[in-house]
Amino acid sequence: MSLKTWPLLLVILSLLLVANLMFGAVSISFEGILNGFQADSEHYFTVYEYRFPRTLLAMMVGAMMALAGALVQGVIRNPLASPDVLGVSHGAGLAAVTYMTLFPTSDIAWLPAMALLGGFSAAFILWWLCGNHSSAIKLAITGVALGALYASTVDFLMLVKPLEINNALLWLTGSLWGRGWNQFFILLPWLGLIPIALWLAKSLNLISLGDDSAISLGVNANTLRLTSLAVAVGLTASCVAICGPIGFLGLVAPHLTRKLVGGQHQILLPCTMLVGAILLLFADLVARTIDPPIELSAGIMTAIIGAPYFLWLLFKNK
Amino acid sequence: MSLSTQDLSVGYHGKAIVKEVSFELPKGKIIALLGPNGCGKSTLLKAMARILKPMTGQVFWNDQDLHQMPSRQLSKELALLPQTQPIPEGVKVKDLVAYGRSPYTGFWGRLNKEDNRIINDVMAQVGITELGEQLVSELSGGQRQRAWLAMTLAQDTPYLLLDEPTTYMDLSHQVELMQTLRKLNSSGKTIITVLHDINQAARYCDHLIVMKDGEIITQGEPENVLTQDMLKTVFSLNAQIHRDPIANTPMCVVE
Amino acid sequence: MDAIQGLLSPSKDVIAQHIVHDIRLPRALLAATVGACFAAAGVVMQGLTQNPLASPAVLGVNAGAALGMAAVSTITPWFGLLGISMAAMIGGGVAWTLVMILGSAWRGGSDTGRLVLAGVAISALCAAFTKALVIMEEDQASAVLSWLAGSFANGNWDTWSLFWPVALFALIGSQLLTPTLNLLQLGDDNAQNLGISLVWTKLAGSVLVLILVGSAIGASGSISFVGLLVPHMARILCGQDHRYFLPLSMLMGSALVVLADTLSRGIIFPLETPAGAILALIGAPFFIYLVKKRAS
Repeated sequence: MSLKTWPLLLVILSLLLVANLMFGAVSISFEGILNGFQADSEHYFTVYEYRFPRTLLAMMVGAMMALAGALVQGVIRNPLASPDVLGVSHGAGLAAVTYMTLFPTSDIAWLPAMALLGGFSAAFILWWLCGNHSSAIKLAITGVALGALYASTVDFLMLVKPLEINNALLWLTGSLWGRGWNQFFILLPWLGLIPIALWLAKSLNLISLGDDSAISLGVNANTLRLTSLAVAVGLTASCVAICGPIGFLGLVAPHLTRKLVGGQHQILLPCTMLVGAILLLFADLVARTIDPPIELSAGIMTAIIGAPYFLWLLFKNK
Repeated sequence: MSLSTQDLSVGYHGKAIVKEVSFELPKGKIIALLGPNGCGKSTLLKAMARILKPMTGQVFWNDQDLHQMPSRQLSKELALLPQTQPIPEGVKVKDLVAYGRSPYTGFWGRLNKEDNRIINDVMAQVGITELGEQLVSELSGGQRQRAWLAMTLAQDTPYLLLDEPTTYMDLSHQVELMQTLRKLNSSGKTIITVLHDINQAARYCDHLIVMKDGEIITQGEPENVLTQDMLKTVFSLNAQIHRDPIANTPMCVVE
Repeated sequence: MDAIQGLLSPSKDVIAQHIVHDIRLPRALLAATVGACFAAAGVVMQGLTQNPLASPAVLGVNAGAALGMAAVSTITPWFGLLGISMAAMIGGGVAWTLVMILGSAWRGGSDTGRLVLAGVAISALCAAFTKALVIMEEDQASAVLSWLAGSFANGNWDTWSLFWPVALFALIGSQLLTPTLNLLQLGDDNAQNLGISLVWTKLAGSVLVLILVGSAIGASGSISFVGLLVPHMARILCGQDHRYFLPLSMLMGSALVVLADTLSRGIIFPLETPAGAILALIGAPFFIYLVKKRAS
């Protein structure tokens, strides 16, 4: 199965990539896009400065969030887990919004670091509230409650400091609007987390057999859990710093991929990145083209796709 | 190679369940851990499989402290079949068995010819060859238990620790499993298993270790261990000892 | 003192009289009644589902109502308050039904966590649709947004006169339901043995909740956490008997919302922070505390 799934996913991804470059407020022909990469073309600005970096970002963010979700689901062995359900995304978001409202003039290159701090704090608070051995549902509820707390604090900050709203609002809805090469280069170094995640693939397989079996197969279960969660928080926080909390992506993409290619992480992790990229590209494409020139945020689209999926999971997991 | 403990106490949440146990496992035998529920037999097994850290005392592997040794090295010496197994999602039986080879494979888990040969061997040994392409989540309880056993066997270790391996099996599969264990034993493996069924232990095992309240009450060959007194003191059971008409091993019949 | 004077002896040239009578009094009345409605809705929901985490905001009724109201005001913006209340009720009703079905809570003793997660997911879905509507119909956006945050800044006598009869009816109705809610605490089976019709009780309770929440949301916007917070506080004060603890909850809900509204004007004068945002800040930690307590 996986042999056929790979190329199929790649084809879908490339089609979406082209579609993302072609459609929007103005439609550009395929040739126009090819020419658009040359500086003298009339579409140079639209294609190269505007749509191309945004498309690349959508792919990166989608892939990273999906990977983070797969890591978390892998070590927590909890189908309802993902960075956004556990409140990590909103924690990262809160830290970033706080930073922007308190220091509106500061350099946005620091945002990922602040988001990372927030993400780790959120993960730590969740762990502190739930302890090591909590049921799937309890973990999810506590995470969701914490997420709601962070989100309402963000709302509060934005209402209190309306002058900085523009900056923050842009950001917090989980949108790719106006993101360009700047954000691309901020996110680029964080791709370095991907090889670390892939390196964990074999151990993630073994931890799916339970801690006891994993230990007797030579895996250090606690170290693995900490490493995976840290990598997942890093991936999530860096994405959140660029485009705000995009809900449900980290939950849905790994699930969907597991249905497609099975549970072996050597295949699952790369494929889930492809699926994540596809989902976010698709969400952003729809968000941009549904009612141009008005744009919905991609986060809205992922919620519309993801929430029913989450409900279905919940229903099925009885 | 040898596995032994010295004044070993282990337990959960600071409460000792196994209390200052010292013993050495006889090499090359099938050893059964027996005892009433909550006596600490599973806990002792987990300590020997390095899943639980000792509160006091040590577990020794070849006179080295087991809990100080590299986990990867031990995973080629000791394999454990836990009592309850989670159901990994989207994993085929063959993949599950292949996970047992992970101590020998590289970081990406790639299998070589030798790995594949061993995987096929152990699957044939426990009779799940035809289930290879099925998902683990689709198996029945007994089939799943055998798939996990195959995974443990694929680890290809001289010592095998089993925690109530017959629990979810019907009777014919239980018998099959015990015979498989005998075969593995005659090929040189030392097998330590927690069992509930005293008669099964007496019939198929060479050495019985009887525990109560976290201590070892008695151990030795079934002939010597299985007595009316022992059943009375350990299991609070009034029973007679008879001869198994087929295997001529001792068996207990409750009065 | 000016305020009391303004209230008691209306005379045309006192500015205080205008402020108090035309702006602050209807606003305070609205806040108090809305608080009572949300608190009563929380009590009824917790009684019906036997789930201590149940409340309009947690189980998706607020978000559903918000979606209904956003849909009506963006697509057909001429409905007025009554139309908005109706839309809020319908939206909330659909969301609540979905949550109850997906969380399998029509039968008692169901998994409380599942119900809450179903509510959260439905909320997220409704919120996404609401945001989409707001962005796509920009003309109405500001009205909808301020309303989503839950504020009493626009409260006046017109709103009040449409709101109070419905609210009063529903509040009295929920008080009539209290003996039944008491029996439901014994579990569905026992309640049935004692001669309670489960279907009718749950239906009547749900309709009451929808009227309470729908009218309150129509009047003030989405106020979260009152329905969760207040019943628990009231229970600590006067025990489990719904006949006493429902009215107490209403009182406390009123007090809490009026307090939040006062704070909302006071925090960063002259700007107004919506009361809903303040309540959310108070309520979310309490929710986490409840989750943690339930587990231990």
